Amino acid sequence: MQDMERYRGSPLDQVYGAIADPTRRAILRVLADGDVKIGTLADRFPISFNGVSKHVKVLERAGLVARKIRGREHWLRLKPRPLRQAARWLEHYGAFWETRLDALEQFLVEQQRPPKVGRSRE
Amino acid sequence: MSATDHPGDALVVRRLLSASRDRVFAAWLDPASLAQWMRPGEMSSATVDGDPRVGGKFRIVMRHVGGAVEHWGEYLAIEPPARLSFTWISVHTDLLPSIVTVELVEKGTSTELTLTHRRLPAAQVEAHRKGWTDILGMLDVRLMAGDGVEPLSN
Repeated sequence: MQDMERYRGSPLDQVYGAIADPTRRAILRVLADGDVKIGTLADRFPISFNGVSKHVKVLERAGLVARKIRGREHWLRLKPRPLRQAARWLEHYGAFWETRLDALEQFLVEQQRPPKVGRSRE
Repeated sequence: MSATDHPGDALVVRRLLSASRDRVFAAWLDPASLAQWMRPGEMSSATVDGDPRVGGKFRIVMRHVGGAVEHWGEYLAIEPPARLSFTWISVHTDLLPSIVTVELVEKGTSTELTLTHRRLPAAQVEAHRKGWTDILGMLDVRLMAGDGVEPLSN
């Protein structure tokens, strides 16, 4: 773990590392609906409190979650800004996907045209 | 119903899931999705084969460090997006067909899932209650994580 701490990679590496886990993605989804106490959050997950706590720490290190301590309560808040850079990188492939879908649609439209030669459609 | 069935023993597990009813229903029929969350307790992985149509069969092998548990059954009812029913057989049902029914009700943007498991051996009810509770928790995590089957828009 010490070595992991020393070399953290770029902010984008950290964001993608943080969201490369279903539990952490689910935590972000919960926080997208509003701030949550860590105990309340842990109750929603089928893993131990310590397990959830470890995932929260990874999200904090990636700058995706902020913790506010009020008395004995630890409140968690989503910090979506680092996700924007990650989303921007993916957007490029969104455009790629759209053009592929357009090509598929074109292909299907052409398939549906009545055949020119006297052959029946299967 | 034969004398070896277990007519009296049923369990009910309920959970509010953060996803639409269509997404939840699709997750129950897709083998790739099932393999992600059919992992109660200490199960580390699952393999799922399925033929999701009435009369079709499925097979789920859940693995843990010490070995594997095999489950299989047959789809009795597939009524999207509200109701699904199948038989559920394993060594823990004494290799007899128990019956699982999954019912989905819309609650705003969420879905309330009620799972009823009937005809279990009495001694197995509590273990299955814990198993399904874990499984529904895992399913909720996967749905919130954005996994599962997404309807292809446009």
